[in-house]
Amino acid sequence: MRLKRCAQGISLLVILLFACAFILDDPAVLLAGTTLLAGLCGLGYSFDRRFRQAVASVRLERSLERAVVRTGSTVRVATAITLQVPSHIQVTVSEILPAGVVVQDGKTAASSGTSPSFETYRFAYRITPLVHGTMHFSGITLVAQDHFFEDRVVLSAEPFRGPALSVQPRGLFEPTGRGLTSETREIEKMAVLSGLGVRALREYYVGDDLRRIDWKLTAKHNKLFIREYAGVVNPPPLIVVDLPWRGASYPADAFARMVAAVAGMVEHSTKMYQHSTVLLISGPNILHFMVEEKDLQRSISALREWMHPVERTAHFYRMADRSDLRSRVRALEIQSGRTQDPSTQKFLGLVKKQYLRSLGVHQTHAFNAQVGRTLSPLTVDEVYVFSLVAGDSSHLVQLIRQAKAMKLRVHVRTPQLPDPVSSPVSPGRLGADTVEAFA
Amino acid sequence: MNLSLRKDDGFFLLLAAGVLLFTGAAQPPSWYLYLLLLALPGIVLYVTRTWNDRVFYILCAGQPLVIALAAAQVWAGLFAVWMLAGIVLAALGMLEPGGDLPAYAAFCGATLVIATGIDASAHVLLPLLITGGLTAVFVLVFTVREYRFRKQYRGAPP
Repeated sequence: MRLKRCAQGISLLVILLFACAFILDDPAVLLAGTTLLAGLCGLGYSFDRRFRQAVASVRLERSLERAVVRTGSTVRVATAITLQVPSHIQVTVSEILPAGVVVQDGKTAASSGTSPSFETYRFAYRITPLVHGTMHFSGITLVAQDHFFEDRVVLSAEPFRGPALSVQPRGLFEPTGRGLTSETREIEKMAVLSGLGVRALREYYVGDDLRRIDWKLTAKHNKLFIREYAGVVNPPPLIVVDLPWRGASYPADAFARMVAAVAGMVEHSTKMYQHSTVLLISGPNILHFMVEEKDLQRSISALREWMHPVERTAHFYRMADRSDLRSRVRALEIQSGRTQDPSTQKFLGLVKKQYLRSLGVHQTHAFNAQVGRTLSPLTVDEVYVFSLVAGDSSHLVQLIRQAKAMKLRVHVRTPQLPDPVSSPVSPGRLGADTVEAFA
Repeated sequence: MNLSLRKDDGFFLLLAAGVLLFTGAAQPPSWYLYLLLLALPGIVLYVTRTWNDRVFYILCAGQPLVIALAAAQVWAGLFAVWMLAGIVLAALGMLEPGGDLPAYAAFCGATLVIATGIDASAHVLLPLLITGGLTAVFVLVFTVREYRFRKQYRGAPP
């Protein structure tokens, strides 16, 4: 139990009164000091009694969305804590999270008022494990305070503990000897000529195209029937949203504009094509994939849930793939051929050797493989990438390369138009077809 | 105009009535001193109405009056202690129905015992040693209880 400022002041007053009583040998001063001390002890005992009552009344239920996840994925946790709040005490309950997880969003603590009541606190939050292993929710912390005292207890006994979250490791690189898209062409794909499908049959009206008469039906019913063919629309675009990292600063106003732009794009896609497909990433981490969602409300709810800066488990920094390394080797060879200085030639040779050594052991990053597996089953012509382009944009380059390899048109949307010459996000550097600023 | 009387004001009026009764009955030579010392908690009570830590200021302001009354008559000082405690508990809202009235009664009983002991003793040293010893025992018992309480809820490591 900790004394708050008021109780500390009273304690100091008691000590002063005792010192004065001893020096002056005055029972009147002693009476003042002793009664103050008795009052303080009484208040402390009363606080402790009510605090124990509150702790004894705690009931907890905690559930996890999934019990087994992989590193970097997001799990929803729901906790309900019920307790009796005693009079004149403010109680704060907070979850004790396992080490190695970060809270993506939601509340993990709540405070009561000072009036006596039977309170139920419901915490709904999402966590992302950053390391693998078995993680235990080790309980809750209960803090109580009044004007004089504050006490804190960790409730980590059996009823308040658990469940365990098993986190499986996720490698940074794909295993060698495995194709990126070897398992991705197994789903049913929309037929290219689906526009020739018959949507409905109706009776013939004067002026209808005679080529559309269904002769079999006409012969069967002895009157003319017309086929109405299904309309053909372009496939909806894939919307990729690159969320900023929580560990770095980002322009909040630009992010708000990006949220509005993404919401507008999703709304347009749903109205125009009857569904929208959204891929949420943050750096080289795929967070959520919403495939052909027809319900606009659900799409907007998912965006509201995810559109905020998130923790990243993996980072790219000037990530180069094999083609980059090869082009650098070629550039070094050209540069080495032009120079006459032996020391420069020696240096360029050393750098080239390092690049060739890297090429020999180069592995495919898991993000590239995931993007490949995500894009390949989709029927899309265009990809819209929304990003603040804050910091390194290697992951965007990798994503756009994957999309371009699948003959998709890629449009990047950024907060402001980049300088076509010097900007690292110019269309040429990113490999996108267009780079535009969103409104 | 709202003329309803708050409980802390009521206890202060009781304290004022007691002090007036005491000065009237005992007629001490420096009777005005008690009235001046009575005014101090009254002013603090009024000025600190919206302050968070007002109980500390009220207690500080009341101690000179307690000492002055107890110097003249221990039981008068004890009465001032009871009224001050009433003011503090009322200011904290702890004397509302269903509140800590039994705790207030227990405090009055305990301070009665303390005052009796001090009244019986001619010097300070012995009561001071007894108070220190009892406080040490209280802290020791409290610490052991708290240790057992925390151990009960901490549980075994997973």
